[in-house]
Amino acid sequence: MSVARVAWRGAVDELLRGRGRFAARVATPWTTVALLIAVAGFAHGAALGSFAGRPIACLFSGIKVPLLLLFSTLMCAPLSYALHALLGLRDDFGEAARATVAAQATFAVVLAATSPLLLVAYASTASYRAAVAWSGVCYLAALLAAQRSLRRRYRVLEQRAPRHRLTRLAFTLLYAFVAIEAAWMLRPFVGAPMLEPTFLRPGAFSNAYVVVVQLVVDLLTR
Amino acid sequence: MATLFRDVDALLRGRFTRPDQLAAGRVDVPVPRLLVVALLLGGGYGVCMGLFGALRGGADGWMQIVACVTKVPLLFLLTLVVTFPSLYVSSALHDAPIEPAATLRLLLIAIAVDLALLASLGPVVAFFTVSTTSYPFMVLLNVVVFALAGLAGLAVIRRALESLFGDGAPAESAEPAAVRRRLATRSSSRFVFKAWLVIVAVVGAQLGWVLRPFIGSPGLPFSWFRARESNFFEACANAVGQLLR
Repeated sequence: MSVARVAWRGAVDELLRGRGRFAARVATPWTTVALLIAVAGFAHGAALGSFAGRPIACLFSGIKVPLLLLFSTLMCAPLSYALHALLGLRDDFGEAARATVAAQATFAVVLAATSPLLLVAYASTASYRAAVAWSGVCYLAALLAAQRSLRRRYRVLEQRAPRHRLTRLAFTLLYAFVAIEAAWMLRPFVGAPMLEPTFLRPGAFSNAYVVVVQLVVDLLTR
Repeated sequence: MATLFRDVDALLRGRFTRPDQLAAGRVDVPVPRLLVVALLLGGGYGVCMGLFGALRGGADGWMQIVACVTKVPLLFLLTLVVTFPSLYVSSALHDAPIEPAATLRLLLIAIAVDLALLASLGPVVAFFTVSTTSYPFMVLLNVVVFALAGLAGLAVIRRALESLFGDGAPAESAEPAAVRRRLATRSSSRFVFKAWLVIVAVVGAQLGWVLRPFIGSPGLPFSWFRARESNFFEACANAVGQLLR
């Protein structure tokens, strides 16, 4: 048990520092990465759901956070592969894929690390809007950390071939585009105390961008 | 399947457009295999594109998938058929250093790259199809995806043109007048190809409009083609307007 704990702690440390098993040119321990994303994502999701005060909301959000990360990454993989091949960077694709997956794991781990802070914030407010805002702060912190991790791992690649900057940018933009819509579909993440917990909201199959455009238009034409 | 993947990989890696071959005016490519690859990639994207009509259309909405699988590769091949004669005539007039058959093969490569990029974005389009009821959004998303894939195709042609026209400086012993003539020929050939790329983009966009519907408007019954009216650019402006309404 203690050996497993040391191995886990070691994995998180190596991931955050980009060393050991998570160094740029080392074969990625895929099982460890998948487990890290699943466990850390679940932990943060459970914290998000806890605002509702019902265990089922924690379970739903716990499942949805890692699902969101994995789904968004998978959606972007074909274009990432095609771009690498097209720009003559096919031989670096494995390294680039490891960098993006490690960034996802970093995102999940940072989210998990902010969960205790989130729980304190939830315990300090009864406002659903404030709870959503606090979770937004956690996501922003995780996003910055993931970008930093991605840039650090891409530095070697970009020194070798500056065209990697384009693949990184394309991946980041497409990932954001897909993840925003996926997150909209998978909402609610923060459990609303006044509503019955559900895995997906009624009207989940709608478009986040269309909603935002309509909100902006309504604001401007009011 | 493995062979298909290998072919797509070789295509994207530029194995069929090696600079040394292009500099010699040669484009060695297995045309039948490349055609099969193009058809499959285009068909794959067609499935993702037609899904919107299948999900939101009436009883025969699934026909939209069949139509899209047919029409996406057809759109590219028709664009090639429509624009190639003008390219051939202009490039021959400007004495471009590439034979017509090699030019055709090069363009086929660019189309296949275009379709490969489209297919790689297919899952994203399918995801938005499932999660979206907004028809104007899907129209604009597909326009953006086609434009991005088109840019990739253009990049392939541009790279090939650099190999064709960029290398091989005239010999030092050549007459100054002959050198000037050769440089002028290269410059005008390059201009012809670049002008042709603009024509391809415009013709491709308008052919896409002529061959519509691709996505399938939810309020209308399935049909293979729509009546002649308007144009691609007006339709895009309308889609933006509907989205903002």
